[in-house]
Amino acid sequence: MSPLPENASALICLLLVAIFSATGVGSAGAAGPVPRVLILYPYDERIPATNIVGEATRTRLLEATAGKIELFSEFLDLSRFPETRHVERMARYLAEKYTNRRPDLVIALGEESTRFIVTNRNAIAPNAKIVFGGFGSATAEELRLPDDVVGALTEFEIRKTIEMAIGLQPDARKLVVIAGSAEFDKAWIAAAQEDLAGLPPNIQTTYLTGLSIDEFAEHVAALPPDTIVIVLTVLSDRTGRNFVPRNSLEKIASAANAPVYGPYSTYLGHGVVGGNAATFESTGAAVAGLAIDALGGNAITDVTVPQSYMADARQLRRWGLSEADLPPGTVVSFNEGSLWEEYWKEIIAISVFVAAQSLVIVSLVFERRRRAAAEFQARRRLLEVIHLNQSATAGALSASIAHELNQPLGAIRINAETAAVMLESKEPDLKLIRQILADIRDDDQRAGDIIAQMRGLLKKRSEIDWQEFDLKDVIQSAIHILKPEAERRNVVVSSMGPLQGLPVRADRVHVQQVILNLATNAMDAMLHASAAERNLVFQTTLTGTNGKVEVSISDTGSGIPSDKLSSIFDAFYTTKPAGTGLGLSIARVIIEIYGGKIWAANRPEGGAVFRFVLPLARPG
Amino acid sequence: MNPTVHIVDDDKSFRTAVGRMLEASGFHVASYASGEELLARLPSGHGCILLDLQMPGLSGLELQARLADLAPLLPIVFLTGRGDIGTTVRAMKAGAHDFLEKPASSAALLEAVERALQLCETRRLEQDRVQAFHMRIASLTPRESQVFDLIVRGKRNKQIAYELSTSERTVKAHRHNVMEKLGARSLAEVVSMAERLGRLEKTT
Repeated sequence: MSPLPENASALICLLLVAIFSATGVGSAGAAGPVPRVLILYPYDERIPATNIVGEATRTRLLEATAGKIELFSEFLDLSRFPETRHVERMARYLAEKYTNRRPDLVIALGEESTRFIVTNRNAIAPNAKIVFGGFGSATAEELRLPDDVVGALTEFEIRKTIEMAIGLQPDARKLVVIAGSAEFDKAWIAAAQEDLAGLPPNIQTTYLTGLSIDEFAEHVAALPPDTIVIVLTVLSDRTGRNFVPRNSLEKIASAANAPVYGPYSTYLGHGVVGGNAATFESTGAAVAGLAIDALGGNAITDVTVPQSYMADARQLRRWGLSEADLPPGTVVSFNEGSLWEEYWKEIIAISVFVAAQSLVIVSLVFERRRRAAAEFQARRRLLEVIHLNQSATAGALSASIAHELNQPLGAIRINAETAAVMLESKEPDLKLIRQILADIRDDDQRAGDIIAQMRGLLKKRSEIDWQEFDLKDVIQSAIHILKPEAERRNVVVSSMGPLQGLPVRADRVHVQQVILNLATNAMDAMLHASAAERNLVFQTTLTGTNGKVEVSISDTGSGIPSDKLSSIFDAFYTTKPAGTGLGLSIARVIIEIYGGKIWAANRPEGGAVFRFVLPLARPG
Repeated sequence: MNPTVHIVDDDKSFRTAVGRMLEASGFHVASYASGEELLARLPSGHGCILLDLQMPGLSGLELQARLADLAPLLPIVFLTGRGDIGTTVRAMKAGAHDFLEKPASSAALLEAVERALQLCETRRLEQDRVQAFHMRIASLTPRESQVFDLIVRGKRNKQIAYELSTSERTVKAHRHNVMEKLGARSLAEVVSMAERLGRLEKTT
């Protein structure tokens, strides 16, 4: 291997130096050690306000030091974990984590971070300077910060936001101030109360707090439109749900029936008409400025971040508020006017084309949706009508069912009382008592079965409950339900047909309804037949080779007038004085839903017969 | 002889329960699954009938109509799972003694049964008395029988003598015999006897 030329080895040396200094690993360059800055975020990474401040701070720091700075970020997550144990754990963890890299400067964003680092300063960053940002002088005073802890004070003057609102809505007489249930939220309300003490007396102020997010939304939806709504923050609501304030605001603002204002720049574009605030970007810049001065060894003092009025042009339009009523110097965003003014011809041409195209697409989609919706509606209505008819059938049979139910109940009562009397005697007949108890159990079972059948009759469903069941069982259960009524009317009920299973796939309650409907019709038809000749016959037959079951229900009544045979299944056709004329048409709909057919005929020997076929679930 | 409670109900479980309860209370019980069964084994003696109103075959009301002739002494207590006013009124008009709705308590049932049995007892005593009257009246001679009919219609001896074309003395003698044979001590007693036997209606 030939030795490398001189200049080549020198080049590699240079390259290595460049790499080391760029990554800052073990670099001991002429600029001295790179300063370490720890940025503490009070909440988690979802909260836009602190993120914007933090990002602005970072950007500014990186710019000012040309990247020669080591930045660390920690999210303390104190809105979700406010408990002391978490705070202590966090402090221990950070103290441990930064053992070998003690920060030269800590930037605490927000009140909670500041309190945290002031309390745990010795453990985490003993020799570091502390710079804070994101709260006002009142809070700073309350925190009783050491003298060497300085920051960029942001004064949230809620009063200015309200003055802006009053300027836009001079007729408003009602002011609603909203805040959530977190500590931070409550502090806000307290501050606002103080700030609003000297409001004009003709404006009635309501502080709304301690509600769930849905209750807030509900409340603001009911407000008269000339109300002014101020949303401070909802970090958590009454139910303990945590929110990003921007999201809770969005929810409240979208439900509101009146213009909503808020004191944060992050609220802009999320439903507020506007507000007065120090922007988070400017807060970040101010904090970074203090940090740079501190790192440079300069003496620093608290600064105040400038505030500005902000407004959302779309919201102004939405509420019919005039831009002219805004305080001077207000920054209006989301104003699309300028684009329109410059390119209106092009926009129109493109729009017309796009609109024409969209119109076709939309109409097609709409048509499809409409049809689907109509079908859905129709089906829902149908199921409702079917249910109504179910209830009517159940109502017609309820007297019989009550009678049926009174038998076991009567027996149970007498049995229980008898057993009680027997137990009083000197030598109770335990065998007999045991028998009584067995009878009670059987009667209870019987009563339970009757109730279950009744419930089946009344079951309401908005969906078809497809299931496979034996048609034979449904017929048996229908006969059981009808029996008392049939007896009352001296109708003899009988059934004929194969005893093997007749599996069909349908909604059992629907099929039972058809059978009950046809059978009660049949009994009604025999009202005037002689008492000795009232026969109701159920017959099941397997038909064809394609696996169908035919059910016929025949009576010995007067039959159907031959000219009515074709129209008897039409809606509103009825021969009964109190009939709705829906029973048979519903029966037809039900049978057809399940792939069957229904028809009626007169029997040569007198009386009518109704037949329906249903496909077998398992043919053959 | 112990009184018998006859239970007619198509519901076996109910029949058994009621039967058991009545037996435990010291009654003699006979039960029938239908009206037809009761008619086939027509009960006699002292007792009452617990009758279910709704049964297949002969309904309670139909059976009640038959029993009015066949077993007039047995009071009927109706039991129903469905209290409907029309049916109740019809049953009561046709002579139902009581009307209980299921589910009835055993106390209510017992009370109804006891009252019905009392009624049965009264009816039997009444029947016995009527029968005794019948026998006494049968012992009258044709002439005495004629005099009896006229007495109960409130005729005086003179009028009777005139109507029967006989002397007042003879009438007096017949009248004495009638009172003797019927064991009556006053005219009022004779009239009430005649009334009970339907004799008054027959002769007016």
